Amino acid sequence: MLAALRDAAKKLLDEKRAVLVIGYADRAGRPALFASKPEDCGRLVYDASCRQNLAAYLGKPEVRARMPVAIVAPPAVLRSIVVLTAESQVATGQVLALAVDQDSFLGTFDAAAAAELLRAKYPALGPAPDLLERVQGLSKKSAAERAAFWAEEFTKCTRCYACRAACPGCYCTRCIVEKNAPQWVSTAALGHGNYTWNVMRAFHQSGRCTLCGACEAACPQGLPLMTLNALLDREALEEFDARPGYDPQAKPFIGSWDAQDDHSYMR
Amino acid sequence: MKTDTAAVPASAATFEPRITAFVCNWCTYAGADLAGTSRLQYAPNMRIIKLPCTGRIDPLFVLKAFENGADAVLVSGCHPGDCHYTSGNYHARRRWTMFRKLLAMTGIDDDRLFFSWVSAAEGQKFADLVNDVTAKVRKAGPFRASNPGRKEC
Repeated sequence: MLAALRDAAKKLLDEKRAVLVIGYADRAGRPALFASKPEDCGRLVYDASCRQNLAAYLGKPEVRARMPVAIVAPPAVLRSIVVLTAESQVATGQVLALAVDQDSFLGTFDAAAAAELLRAKYPALGPAPDLLERVQGLSKKSAAERAAFWAEEFTKCTRCYACRAACPGCYCTRCIVEKNAPQWVSTAALGHGNYTWNVMRAFHQSGRCTLCGACEAACPQGLPLMTLNALLDREALEEFDARPGYDPQAKPFIGSWDAQDDHSYMR
Repeated sequence: MKTDTAAVPASAATFEPRITAFVCNWCTYAGADLAGTSRLQYAPNMRIIKLPCTGRIDPLFVLKAFENGADAVLVSGCHPGDCHYTSGNYHARRRWTMFRKLLAMTGIDDDRLFFSWVSAAEGQKFADLVNDVTAKVRKAGPFRASNPGRKEC
């Protein structure tokens, strides 16, 4: 598997189909590897300990200046590439995916082909069973218990914004939390600002999150951020039949509407 | 959107709910106006904030209201199909469907967050709505203790 991945990456650089290959390096913690020379591709790896979503780099100016780029992409990252394409964040042909899964290297794909691969091979990606259990377990508790649970969790937040940096969906050049006239979100690492920040971070991913888990993996305080993401993922699916990351031409989820949308909760 | 939180009475017996309402200019605000000009009496617990359209109501407004000590929030606008800007309320509806679930997950349930459609002709509906929401929040009690996003200082 690794040999096939490295060969494919090397070939892309050799043939100048990509200027840069972003993958996981063969070092502890599996940091990102930026290979612009064919010989660097020998250090590419992929295994279960690769937790970063490398599509997050596609928004960085340093990477955008070195397009076309190829990235090593497990299924969730493939979905992120499709979402970014649908949201016009990457141009067609500028990003190639070196698709991998736990056992094998699947080939080189552009966004449209990646979407096809996802539909054929992984048509119903969703939260893992243990993650769903976390959501369902909390949903069964009373409102006061839920409030207490999250108050306790959000207290730990130091507002380092590692969750934001790790997420390919958080690509705004100026985030709402950095706007201070008016200051919508308190930047102090206190209860109310932490609550607003974490709720808004999750909300901005509604119908866009690909459940890659990079935010939760990046959180130095171990906040269960994926519980909120998974809740919204299920909600988008159940209410609007929305599965982000399967169609590069998809309309934006929050920016679009349907006259038939449910409003049974409206009085 | 600063509210004077110090004036909130602590005991449940004298509890007067503070409810923030975000309403659209063209339907619900006109409906509230009609309730007033029709001399309909309704609970004085709602503070209305008028915006051009429900589509203008960022979820952050709701969070800010709770942060500043609101016991409940009401969001109200034109009935589907009646939006002055054609589709503002449709955009808002999808957003609220997701947002209310997220808030419920974090401990702000549907006895704290209300949504409605009130047209410019529905003065009576507005008065009934305010009375009903106020009664529900009164029953739920002060939100001070269990509000996960309340400002601490």
